[in-house]
Amino acid sequence: MKSYENKLISQIEHLKDEFDSTTTKLIKELKRQDKIMARSDKRQQLEYDELIKLKTELEETQKEIVWIVGTIGEYRNKEMGNHVKRVASYSYCLAKHYGLSNRECELIKYASPMHDIGKVAIPDSILNKAGSFTQDERDIMERHSQIGYDLLKNSDRELIKIASIIAYEHHEKYNGKGYPRGISGEDIHIYGRIVALADVFDALGSNRIYKKAWSDDKIFTLLKEERGEHFDPKLIDIFFENLDEILAIRDSMEDIV
Amino acid sequence: MEQIEIEATKYTPKIFLNPDGIISIEGKSYPENSFEFYQPIVEWIDNFLNKSSRDSLSVNMKIIYFNSSSSKVFFDIFDMFEESRDRCKTTIHWIFDTDNENVAEAGEDLKEDFPTLDIRLSAI
Repeated sequence: MKSYENKLISQIEHLKDEFDSTTTKLIKELKRQDKIMARSDKRQQLEYDELIKLKTELEETQKEIVWIVGTIGEYRNKEMGNHVKRVASYSYCLAKHYGLSNRECELIKYASPMHDIGKVAIPDSILNKAGSFTQDERDIMERHSQIGYDLLKNSDRELIKIASIIAYEHHEKYNGKGYPRGISGEDIHIYGRIVALADVFDALGSNRIYKKAWSDDKIFTLLKEERGEHFDPKLIDIFFENLDEILAIRDSMEDIV
Repeated sequence: MEQIEIEATKYTPKIFLNPDGIISIEGKSYPENSFEFYQPIVEWIDNFLNKSSRDSLSVNMKIIYFNSSSSKVFFDIFDMFEESRDRCKTTIHWIFDTDNENVAEAGEDLKEDFPTLDIRLSAI
């Protein structure tokens, strides 16, 4: 009887030892898991922060480069002043009220400065000519849309792609009488239609070597006449509905004379 | 025992297992299923430690990036080294880029968790 008891005790003691060693192992394992998880969380945090930093850096770099390249034209064509900046802001404003997403509005704003980039290939004698163009000169000048598009079209970058559309289509007219392709209506990309209006509105109100700035009355009359002709009628409506905002942009970015 | 050589992929490191007692793991380790990927390596090491007559093993680990399940596998492998330390003396060279804090820290963790193993950290 005594020996039987002892055997049972020793079995239980053996179980106790096994249990102890197993629980010790489990505790060690759990502690290790916790440590791995904590380290992993810390790494994920750093990695995500880094990712966001890089993404921001990339986007800002793109925007800056596009802006700088866009202003090259202004340097060659001194009278342009803040034209490019105002067109960017008018375009943003029109895009926003047209109902495009915030992201698209931003993209148009940052891509629009490149709309005349094709002018880098236009000779100074034509670009800065005081008188009116001969037909040949006009043909050469009008090539800047196609040239701008050709310069930008091969990029896979979203911003540059949008810039290429704008460069290509900002001289198209809603009625199909624009250039370079003579496309009409909604065949013209909304980005092209928006920048077309922003560009013309700003050009009319600015002094140019070949013309004086028009009065607001004269500009507004023309825009209304060209509703559905040169310009998308919906955009003309948006323009007049938000005229205060448009004029505030103009006032904040006046050319220094 | 046979020699095993596994080429690196986008997500997995280059691995070299030599029956003379040399192990080398080099590169990135973030496969979708680390346990599955390392299964044959763990088996090879288990065989080496428990079935071969070799009494020393040199391990070179030069990891650039790893996910948490790879980290778990590394701990498990180090457990095996530790358990067989009386039969086989294992020396581990944990090599990392000076500016790779994560891998440096992981090396420190391993050293701390396996005080009986000969783990040598070297920044290059």
